[in-house]
Amino acid sequence: MAANSAASSPANSPSVPPFEPQGELVLTRTFDAPRDLVFKLWTDKNHLEKWWGPTGFTTTVHEMDVRPGGVWHYTMRGPDGNDYPFQGKYLEVVPPEKLVFLGTIHEGAGQQIWTEALFTDRNGKTHVRIHQVYSFESFATKGAPIGWSMQFDRLEKYLVAL
Amino acid sequence: MSTDQLTATFAALADPTRRAILARLASGEASVTELAEPFDMSLPAVSKHLKVLERAGLIARSREAQWRPCQLDAAPLKNAAAWIERYRRFWTESFDRLDDYLHELKQKESKRGSKQRSK
Repeated sequence: MAANSAASSPANSPSVPPFEPQGELVLTRTFDAPRDLVFKLWTDKNHLEKWWGPTGFTTTVHEMDVRPGGVWHYTMRGPDGNDYPFQGKYLEVVPPEKLVFLGTIHEGAGQQIWTEALFTDRNGKTHVRIHQVYSFESFATKGAPIGWSMQFDRLEKYLVAL
Repeated sequence: MSTDQLTATFAALADPTRRAILARLASGEASVTELAEPFDMSLPAVSKHLKVLERAGLIARSREAQWRPCQLDAAPLKNAAAWIERYRRFWTESFDRLDDYLHELKQKESKRGSKQRSK
Protein backbone atom coordinates (compact mmCIF):
# COMPACT_ATOMS: atom_id res chain seq x y z
CA MET A 1 0.00 0.00 0.00
CA ALA A 2 2.83 2.33 0.89
CA ALA A 3 4.50 1.54 -2.43
CA ASN A 4 1.36 2.47 -4.34
CA SER A 5 0.87 5.82 -2.65
CA ALA A 6 4.55 6.63 -3.09
CA ALA A 7 4.10 6.22 -6.83
CA SER A 8 1.63 9.09 -7.04
CA SER A 9 2.58 12.73 -6.75
CA PRO A 10 3.97 13.35 -3.25
CA ALA A 11 2.52 16.86 -3.24
CA ASN A 12 -1.00 15.64 -3.82
CA SER A 13 -1.04 12.00 -2.79
CA PRO A 14 -4.25 10.53 -1.35
CA SER A 15 -4.15 11.17 2.34
CA VAL A 16 -5.58 9.42 5.35
CA PRO A 17 -5.96 10.74 8.89
CA PRO A 18 -2.50 10.81 10.55
CA PHE A 19 -3.99 9.51 13.78
CA GLU A 20 -6.13 6.69 15.12
CA PRO A 21 -9.74 7.66 14.30
CA GLN A 22 -11.82 8.09 17.43
CA GLY A 23 -14.98 9.36 15.86
CA GLU A 24 -16.22 10.19 12.42
CA LEU A 25 -19.00 11.80 10.50
CA VAL A 26 -20.19 11.52 6.90
CA LEU A 27 -22.61 14.04 5.50
CA THR A 28 -23.82 14.73 1.96
CA ARG A 29 -25.79 17.48 0.27
CA THR A 30 -26.62 18.29 -3.33
CA PHE A 31 -26.43 21.92 -4.38
CA ASP A 32 -28.26 23.34 -7.36
CA ALA A 33 -25.17 24.93 -8.88
CA PRO A 34 -22.34 23.89 -11.17
CA ARG A 35 -19.35 22.19 -9.58
CA ASP A 36 -16.84 24.88 -10.56
CA LEU A 37 -18.87 27.47 -8.70
CA VAL A 38 -19.37 25.35 -5.57
CA PHE A 39 -15.68 24.54 -5.49
CA LYS A 40 -14.86 28.23 -5.86
CA LEU A 41 -17.04 29.07 -2.88
CA TRP A 42 -14.99 26.64 -0.84
CA THR A 43 -11.62 27.92 -1.95
CA ASP A 44 -12.07 31.69 -2.25
CA LYS A 45 -11.65 33.55 1.04
CA ASN A 46 -14.29 36.22 0.32
CA HIS A 47 -16.87 33.65 -0.68
CA LEU A 48 -16.12 31.22 2.14
CA GLU A 49 -16.56 33.89 4.80
CA LYS A 50 -20.13 34.39 3.59
CA TRP A 51 -21.31 30.89 4.51
CA TRP A 52 -18.80 29.01 6.68
CA GLY A 53 -20.03 28.10 10.15
CA PRO A 54 -23.36 27.45 11.83
CA THR A 55 -26.21 29.96 11.94
CA GLY A 56 -25.25 33.12 13.82
CA PHE A 57 -21.49 32.58 13.43
CA THR A 58 -19.19 34.88 11.52
CA THR A 59 -15.96 33.60 10.04
CA THR A 60 -12.80 35.63 9.45
CA VAL A 61 -10.15 34.01 7.31
CA HIS A 62 -6.62 35.06 8.29
CA GLU A 63 -4.75 32.91 5.84
CA MET A 64 -5.91 30.64 3.07
CA ASP A 65 -3.31 29.15 0.79
CA VAL A 66 -5.31 26.59 -1.16
CA ARG A 67 -2.68 24.14 -2.36
CA PRO A 68 -1.20 20.97 -0.87
CA GLY A 69 0.72 21.96 2.26
CA GLY A 70 -0.81 25.44 2.22
CA VAL A 71 -1.88 27.02 5.50
CA TRP A 72 -5.50 27.65 6.39
CA HIS A 73 -6.23 29.72 9.45
CA TYR A 74 -9.56 31.22 10.38
CA THR A 75 -11.58 32.25 13.40
CA MET A 76 -15.27 31.66 13.89
CA ARG A 77 -17.06 34.01 16.24
CA GLY A 78 -20.12 32.60 17.90
CA PRO A 79 -23.33 34.47 18.68
CA ASP A 80 -22.13 34.52 22.30
CA GLY A 81 -18.98 36.43 21.28
CA ASN A 82 -16.64 33.48 21.83
CA ASP A 83 -13.92 32.92 19.27
CA TYR A 84 -13.20 29.49 17.87
CA PRO A 85 -9.91 29.48 15.98
CA PHE A 86 -9.06 26.83 13.42
CA GLN A 87 -5.45 26.24 12.49
CA GLY A 88 -4.92 23.89 9.62
CA LYS A 89 -3.39 23.04 6.30
CA TYR A 90 -4.55 21.61 3.01
CA LEU A 91 -3.36 18.09 2.27
CA GLU A 92 -5.00 17.60 -1.11
CA VAL A 93 -6.36 20.12 -3.57
CA VAL A 94 -7.84 18.70 -6.78
CA PRO A 95 -10.03 21.33 -8.50
CA PRO A 96 -12.94 21.04 -8.78
CA GLU A 97 -13.42 17.64 -7.20
CA LYS A 98 -11.58 17.21 -3.95
CA LEU A 99 -10.26 19.02 -0.89
CA VAL A 100 -8.59 17.37 2.08
CA PHE A 101 -7.50 19.37 5.07
CA LEU A 102 -6.19 18.71 8.53
CA GLY A 103 -6.44 21.07 11.43
CA THR A 104 -6.69 21.66 15.12
CA ILE A 105 -9.67 23.40 16.59
CA HIS A 106 -7.77 25.06 19.38
CA GLU A 107 -4.48 26.91 19.36
CA GLY A 108 -1.59 24.73 20.46
CA ALA A 109 -2.00 21.06 21.15
CA GLY A 110 -5.63 20.89 20.18
CA GLN A 111 -7.67 18.06 18.97
CA GLN A 112 -7.11 17.12 15.35
CA ILE A 113 -9.76 16.95 12.68
CA TRP A 114 -9.18 15.45 9.26
CA THR A 115 -11.70 16.47 6.62
CA GLU A 116 -12.27 15.26 3.08
CA ALA A 117 -14.73 17.10 0.85
CA LEU A 118 -15.66 15.44 -2.44
CA PHE A 119 -17.47 17.36 -5.17
CA THR A 120 -19.30 15.33 -7.82
CA ASP A 121 -21.13 16.68 -10.84
CA ARG A 122 -24.71 15.41 -11.10
CA ASN A 123 -26.27 16.78 -14.26
CA GLY A 124 -25.24 20.32 -13.56
CA LYS A 125 -25.88 20.03 -9.83
CA THR A 126 -23.14 19.39 -7.34
CA HIS A 127 -23.13 16.58 -4.84
CA VAL A 128 -20.87 17.30 -1.86
CA ARG A 129 -19.72 14.57 0.50
CA ILE A 130 -18.01 15.47 3.75
CA HIS A 131 -16.04 12.85 5.61
CA GLN A 132 -14.67 14.09 8.90
CA VAL A 133 -12.50 12.08 11.29
CA TYR A 134 -11.71 13.18 14.83
CA SER A 135 -8.80 12.47 17.13
CA PHE A 136 -9.32 12.78 20.82
CA GLU A 137 -5.71 13.38 21.80
CA SER A 138 -6.42 16.46 23.81
CA PHE A 139 -9.35 14.74 25.44
CA ALA A 140 -7.09 12.07 26.84
CA THR A 141 -4.35 14.44 28.00
CA LYS A 142 -6.38 17.38 29.25
CA GLY A 143 -9.33 17.33 31.55
CA ALA A 144 -10.27 20.82 30.44
CA PRO A 145 -13.55 21.61 28.75
CA ILE A 146 -13.58 21.41 24.98
CA GLY A 147 -12.26 24.64 23.48
CA TRP A 148 -14.22 24.64 20.28
CA SER A 149 -17.72 23.99 21.32
CA MET A 150 -21.16 25.34 20.95
CA GLN A 151 -24.17 24.41 22.97
CA PHE A 152 -22.03 22.01 24.96
CA ASP A 153 -19.99 24.74 26.62
CA ARG A 154 -23.14 26.63 27.36
CA LEU A 155 -24.70 23.56 28.86
CA GLU A 156 -21.62 23.07 31.00
CA LYS A 157 -21.71 26.67 32.24
CA TYR A 158 -25.37 26.28 32.95
CA LEU A 159 -24.75 23.13 34.96
CA VAL A 160 -21.98 24.83 36.97
CA ALA A 161 -24.24 27.81 37.69
CA LEU A 162 -27.09 25.62 38.94
CA MET B 1 -19.27 15.45 31.57
CA SER B 2 -15.77 13.97 31.80
CA THR B 3 -13.75 14.15 28.60
CA ASP B 4 -11.85 11.02 29.65
CA GLN B 5 -15.18 9.25 29.75
CA LEU B 6 -15.84 10.41 26.20
CA THR B 7 -12.42 9.12 25.09
CA ALA B 8 -13.15 5.75 26.67
CA THR B 9 -16.52 5.61 24.96
CA PHE B 10 -15.12 6.35 21.52
CA ALA B 11 -12.21 3.97 22.00
CA ALA B 12 -14.67 1.25 22.97
CA LEU B 13 -16.85 1.98 19.94
CA ALA B 14 -13.90 1.92 17.55
CA ASP B 15 -14.05 -1.88 17.31
CA PRO B 16 -16.60 -3.72 15.10
CA THR B 17 -16.89 -6.70 17.48
CA ARG B 18 -17.70 -4.41 20.38
CA ARG B 19 -20.27 -2.54 18.30
CA ALA B 20 -21.86 -5.89 17.40
CA ILE B 21 -21.94 -6.85 21.09
CA LEU B 22 -23.69 -3.57 21.90
CA ALA B 23 -26.17 -4.13 19.10
CA ARG B 24 -26.94 -7.58 20.52
CA LEU B 25 -27.40 -6.14 24.01
CA ALA B 26 -29.77 -3.51 22.67
CA SER B 27 -32.32 -6.30 22.32
CA GLY B 28 -31.88 -7.51 25.89
CA GLU B 29 -29.37 -8.80 28.43
CA ALA B 30 -27.20 -11.78 27.57
CA SER B 31 -24.55 -14.00 29.08
CA VAL B 32 -20.93 -14.04 27.92
CA THR B 33 -21.51 -17.41 26.25
CA GLU B 34 -24.50 -16.05 24.37
CA LEU B 35 -22.56 -12.99 23.31
CA ALA B 36 -19.65 -15.11 22.10
CA GLU B 37 -21.84 -17.32 19.90
CA PRO B 38 -21.93 -15.22 16.69
CA PHE B 39 -18.17 -14.63 16.77
CA ASP B 40 -15.34 -16.93 15.85
CA MET B 41 -13.69 -16.08 19.12
CA SER B 42 -12.65 -17.68 22.38
CA LEU B 43 -14.53 -16.82 25.55
CA PRO B 44 -11.49 -15.03 27.03
CA ALA B 45 -11.27 -12.87 23.90
CA VAL B 46 -14.92 -11.92 24.22
CA SER B 47 -14.41 -11.27 27.93
CA LYS B 48 -11.64 -8.84 27.01
CA HIS B 49 -14.01 -6.89 24.78
CA LEU B 50 -16.61 -6.90 27.53
CA LYS B 51 -14.08 -5.47 29.97
CA VAL B 52 -13.38 -2.58 27.58
CA LEU B 53 -17.10 -1.93 27.24
CA GLU B 54 -17.53 -2.15 30.99
CA ARG B 55 -14.72 0.33 31.64
CA ALA B 56 -16.32 2.70 29.15
CA GLY B 57 -19.51 2.38 31.12
CA LEU B 58 -21.36 1.06 28.09
CA ILE B 59 -22.40 -2.16 29.73
CA ALA B 60 -23.22 -3.17 33.25
CA ARG B 61 -22.75 -6.64 34.64
CA SER B 62 -24.90 -7.87 37.42
CA ARG B 63 -23.23 -9.49 40.37
CA GLU B 64 -25.20 -12.73 40.19
CA ALA B 65 -22.30 -15.06 40.72
CA GLN B 66 -22.20 -17.61 37.90
CA TRP B 67 -24.26 -16.20 35.12
CA ARG B 68 -23.36 -12.49 35.25
CA PRO B 69 -25.57 -11.29 32.37
CA CYS B 70 -24.49 -8.10 30.56
CA GLN B 71 -26.77 -5.12 30.12
CA LEU B 72 -26.47 -2.15 27.85
CA ASP B 73 -26.05 1.28 29.44
CA ALA B 74 -26.87 3.91 26.84
CA ALA B 75 -25.83 7.05 28.75
CA PRO B 76 -22.19 7.24 27.51
CA LEU B 77 -23.42 6.53 23.98
CA LYS B 78 -25.65 9.55 24.27
CA ASN B 79 -22.70 11.74 25.28
CA ALA B 80 -20.63 10.50 22.34
CA ALA B 81 -23.53 11.09 19.98
CA ALA B 82 -24.00 14.60 21.36
CA TRP B 83 -20.35 15.40 20.73
CA ILE B 84 -20.52 14.31 17.08
CA GLU B 85 -23.85 16.10 16.85
CA ARG B 86 -22.11 19.48 17.20
CA TYR B 87 -20.17 18.75 14.03
CA ARG B 88 -23.25 17.55 12.27
CA ARG B 89 -24.83 20.86 13.21
CA PHE B 90 -21.79 22.74 11.92
CA TRP B 91 -22.08 21.10 8.52
CA THR B 92 -25.85 21.11 8.26
CA GLU B 93 -26.07 24.82 9.01
CA SER B 94 -23.04 25.69 6.88
CA PHE B 95 -24.63 23.80 4.00
CA ASP B 96 -27.88 25.68 4.51
CA ARG B 97 -25.95 28.94 4.35
CA LEU B 98 -24.01 27.81 1.29
CA ASP B 99 -27.29 26.95 -0.38
CA ASP B 100 -28.72 30.41 0.40
CA TYR B 101 -25.54 32.07 -0.78
CA LEU B 102 -25.64 30.15 -4.07
CA HIS B 103 -29.22 31.32 -4.61
CA GLU B 104 -28.15 34.88 -3.88
CA LEU B 105 -25.33 34.66 -6.41
CA LYS B 106 -27.65 33.16 -9.00
CA GLN B 107 -30.15 36.01 -8.57
CA LYS B 108 -27.39 38.59 -8.93
CA GLU B 109 -26.19 36.75 -12.00
CA SER B 110 -29.65 36.71 -13.64
CA LYS B 111 -30.20 40.43 -12.84
CA ARG B 112 -26.87 41.25 -14.45
CA GLY B 113 -27.83 39.03 -17.39
CA SER B 114 -31.18 40.80 -17.96
CA LYS B 115 -29.49 44.22 -17.69
CA GLN B 116 -27.00 43.23 -20.35
CA ARG B 117 -29.80 41.95 -22.58
CA SER B 118 -31.80 45.18 -22.19
CA LYS B 119 -28.82 47.28 -23.26
